[in-house]
Amino acid sequence: MRVSPADRIPVAVLTGFLGSGKTTLLARLLRHPDFSRTAVIINEFGEVGLDHDLVEASEESFVTLQTGCLCCTVRGDLVLTLEDILRRRDERSVTAFERVVIETSGLADPAPILHALMGDTSLAQRLAIAGVVTTVDAVNGTATLERYPESVKQVAVADRLVLTKTDLLAGPEDRSGIASRLSRLNGEASILEASFGAIEPARLFDTGADALGSGARSPIVPPRPDSDHAHEAHPHRHDQEIAYFAIVRDTPIRAVALTLLLEALAEHCGGDLLRLKGLVNIAESPDRPAVVHGVQHVFHPPAWLDRWPSDDRRTRLVFIVRDIPRSWVDALLAAIEAEVDEVAKRL
Amino acid sequence: MPVAGLDEWVARLLAESLSAWRVAGAVRRDARGALLVMVAGKELRITRAAPGLPFRWMVDDGERARTASSVTGLLRHVRTVVDPAYRQVRLRIAPLPLALP
Repeated sequence: MRVSPADRIPVAVLTGFLGSGKTTLLARLLRHPDFSRTAVIINEFGEVGLDHDLVEASEESFVTLQTGCLCCTVRGDLVLTLEDILRRRDERSVTAFERVVIETSGLADPAPILHALMGDTSLAQRLAIAGVVTTVDAVNGTATLERYPESVKQVAVADRLVLTKTDLLAGPEDRSGIASRLSRLNGEASILEASFGAIEPARLFDTGADALGSGARSPIVPPRPDSDHAHEAHPHRHDQEIAYFAIVRDTPIRAVALTLLLEALAEHCGGDLLRLKGLVNIAESPDRPAVVHGVQHVFHPPAWLDRWPSDDRRTRLVFIVRDIPRSWVDALLAAIEAEVDEVAKRL
Repeated sequence: MPVAGLDEWVARLLAESLSAWRVAGAVRRDARGALLVMVAGKELRITRAAPGLPFRWMVDDGERARTASSVTGLLRHVRTVVDPAYRQVRLRIAPLPLALP
C-alpha cells in the first residue's frame, strides 16, 4: 500500500540504558490524551517480559511485546510485527492508531532498529521516523556512560535526551555535570527533564502535527545550524571518538551528486557513520527540499517536503560519526560536485 | 562550491582519504599532470581518461590499470589497493532510487 507522505504514520524509538526510566516515561505518556491511539512495541530482553505489564495502555492504545534483543537477533521480527499491526489497522481489527512507539531493551543498539525501519521498502512507504528519544538516569548516567558503550551509542543517535530521576540529584552542579557530558556526546539533541516520567508529550515526539508545518510528515530534520555556527568551523570531538559536525551549502546540489555522496558514505564509512540527517536543496527541485537520513550503511530513501519550512534554503547535513573527519566529507562532496558540474557543462 | 577545479578537488580528496583511512602516504602531481598516490612502496598513477571513452579516470598501479566512471569509483579503486583492511560493500543499500518529486 502506497500512501502520501502526509499520511505516513510516525514511528518513534524510545531507548535508554537499563533502569533509566523508559517504561515509567512511556506509562505516563500513554495516559496523556495526546497519546491515545498509540501502538506500542516493547522489546524486552530475556525469557520473561515485565515491561508490558507495567505499561497500562488505554483502550485506544495497544501493546505488543517482543522478547529477545531487536538489535542483534530478531530485527526481522520488528518488521513482521510492524507489518502485522499495519495489516490489522487496515482491516480495522485494531484501533486506527495514529503513531507507533518502539521501546527498545536497555541493552539495545538503536541503530539496527532504525535500519529495520528504513531498509524495508513497504514500511518506508507507510511509516515515517518521528525521532529517537533516549532516557538517561541523572544519578547513574555518568558512570553508565563510562562503563557501557551501548549507552554511549544510545545517546549519540538521539534527537532528544530525557534526564530522569533529577529529583534525586544532590544539587544543580550534579545536573550540569551529566548535562555537559551529554552535550559533548551529542550536541544536536535537546536535553529535557522528567521526574517520575512526567513530561509534556509534545516536547518529546511530533504528536501528530508536523514539526515543520509543511503538511508532510517527514523523517527527522536537523536543527538549523545558524544557532550553532561553531560546528562548521570546529568539528566537535567527543569521548570515544564520537564527533558531530554540520556541512552547509549555500548553493543547490544536483540530485545525482547527492546520490553519489550517499553511496560513497555508505561504502566507506559503514558502522562509523552513526547518524546522518539532512535537509537538501536539490537543484532540480528548488521548491521542494529533500530530507535524507541514514544510520551506518543504511539510508532511507530521500523524502520530499511540500515546501521549505523556513526562508533558510541552505543545504544542511548533520553528521554524528566515529573517527570520520569532517574534512574528508567536505572533500568528498566538493569533488563529487565538481565532477557532476563538469559533466553537466559538457552535455 | 566548487571553487577549485575538479583535479584539485580530487587531489585534496585523496590526501584526506589517506588520513581518514589511517594509511601513511602522500599525494602529489607529476610533471605531466598525473596524480600520484604513494603508499608503502606502491605508487598509483591517476589520470583523466581520453575524451570519448566510456569512463573518466584511469588508475594504474604498475601491474594493472583500472578504469572508473566517477570520482566515487576512483576512490573505491584507490582504497582497494592502499587499505588492506578495506572490504568492499557489494550490498545495494538504498531500497529506492532517488526519484525527483
